[in-house]
Amino acid sequence: MTGAVRSAPAYLDHAATTPVDPRVAARMAECLTQEGAFGNPGSASHAYGDTAGALVEAARAQVAAAVGAECGDVVFTSGATEANNLAVLGVAQYYRVLGRHLVTVRTEHKSLLDPCRELERRGWRVTYLVPDRGGRVDPDEVAAALRPDTVLVSVMHVNNEIGVIQDVEAIAKLCAARPHVRLHVDAAQSVGKQPLDFSGAGFDLMSLSAHKAYGPKGVGALVVSRRRGVQLQPLMWGGGQEGGLRPGTLATHQVVGMGEAFALASATLSQEVERIARLRERLWCGLEALGGVLHNGDAAHSVAHILNVSIEDVEGESLLADVGSSIAVSAGSACNSALREPSYVLRALGRDQRLAESSLRFSLGRYSTEADVDAAVAAVARAVTRLRRIAGRPPGPSPAGPRQCRSLGERTD
Amino acid sequence: MHYNNLTQRHFEHPHCAGELSGAAVRRGAAGSPAQGAWVQFDVDIDPRDPGRKVRAARFLAFGCPHVIAAADWVAQAAAGREATPSLPESVQSLRERFDVPIEKTGRLLVIEDAWIAAVSPPCGD
Repeated sequence: MTGAVRSAPAYLDHAATTPVDPRVAARMAECLTQEGAFGNPGSASHAYGDTAGALVEAARAQVAAAVGAECGDVVFTSGATEANNLAVLGVAQYYRVLGRHLVTVRTEHKSLLDPCRELERRGWRVTYLVPDRGGRVDPDEVAAALRPDTVLVSVMHVNNEIGVIQDVEAIAKLCAARPHVRLHVDAAQSVGKQPLDFSGAGFDLMSLSAHKAYGPKGVGALVVSRRRGVQLQPLMWGGGQEGGLRPGTLATHQVVGMGEAFALASATLSQEVERIARLRERLWCGLEALGGVLHNGDAAHSVAHILNVSIEDVEGESLLADVGSSIAVSAGSACNSALREPSYVLRALGRDQRLAESSLRFSLGRYSTEADVDAAVAAVARAVTRLRRIAGRPPGPSPAGPRQCRSLGERTD
Repeated sequence: MHYNNLTQRHFEHPHCAGELSGAAVRRGAAGSPAQGAWVQFDVDIDPRDPGRKVRAARFLAFGCPHVIAAADWVAQAAAGREATPSLPESVQSLRERFDVPIEKTGRLLVIEDAWIAAVSPPCGD
């Protein structure tokens, strides 16, 4: 993606999905054809099945090792959306005699919030905690929301829109003191960006996604702590695979891809985080120079690869339309209809509708370069200057020329 | 969102974006950024022409690509025409010309209101 002439927009949307790492793709390809491990991993009566089954178990071990879990804790699913559904609905159904109350946060992913809404329709009660302006939830507020009939607390580790890291370890400690409460952590955005220690932290359940970490789409996992005796009611029946929690023939190539992707992500975590943090700082400095650029989320508690900003005096849809041919980024508004809806995550942080609509999420990744970052800054600068001029707004400070950037760690807005 | 070629062209190259000055220039605006669309027209009307011909029109706009494109087209199309409170063509025709989703019709009405505000004779005229 480097070079003087760009044929494709710079890809800065790695929080949406990542390309499959070629090393992962090579391992996956070994499982597809007649010469490869194409057998049904559940067929124990012949070598084809045994070979595939061994690969699945090796991948399970890779996933478990990457997140600090036991091999037997890993239940493969079609992705984090299914894992979130299984965690919320499965726990709620299994423990319904103990209580019908859940605690979660307004800024969770839709794949977590929508199952909660479904449970509310079925008579459960859900407490939706409001984060502070930085997007963080105080563990004491979680504790205060717990009731004698609370059976599940669900808090995401890394927010997919703003990159803010919740203190899930502290929340795990307070949940551990209440034996009737299970803690689920959505860690779809965490692998390869933040260290995870499922068993050590005392989580009960954790959702994972392969395609956010250079693995294939269509596979993920729900990690279920056997040591802590967590039980679930499955959402599907038939076949008994994955301990009866997720029946259906496992897609060996997908599972193998996820295992390989997670192993690679773990091996390169620290140097990748350092490199990407430098790129994000370069990006922030370039954007801040435009003037009227506000960082969304608590910068001191954010992952390195996500930068979410709101830009004053520009309209969100025009901003995205303008930069769209140069860079691939996400907008802070959902295009559910012709009229865009501002991000509910940014609204929960207290951003007004206009600023929520005029936000952009940049998410850097393994193949991001300084050239990509510079292209993004140039595209946004061009768009913002043009749109502000059309709106009759005075131009902000010039993005050109050397200036002192207020680092993300120093900013106070 | 998909934009048709005309929208794309006027959004990317709004030749009539800007302001006019002079005694013969009338200004009108409508909407607000908080509502999602704000448009201002400056219309230069020849004072010696009994037909109130528009010599030039310029616009400023805060809004989506459809708003910017349609406002630019209106400013361009108005030049040489009589300065009447009617747009060069109806809101419905503008909607069809720019392939504006029905949910956004209100934003085209902001353009119409801004135009009316600019060309309507002030009280006492």
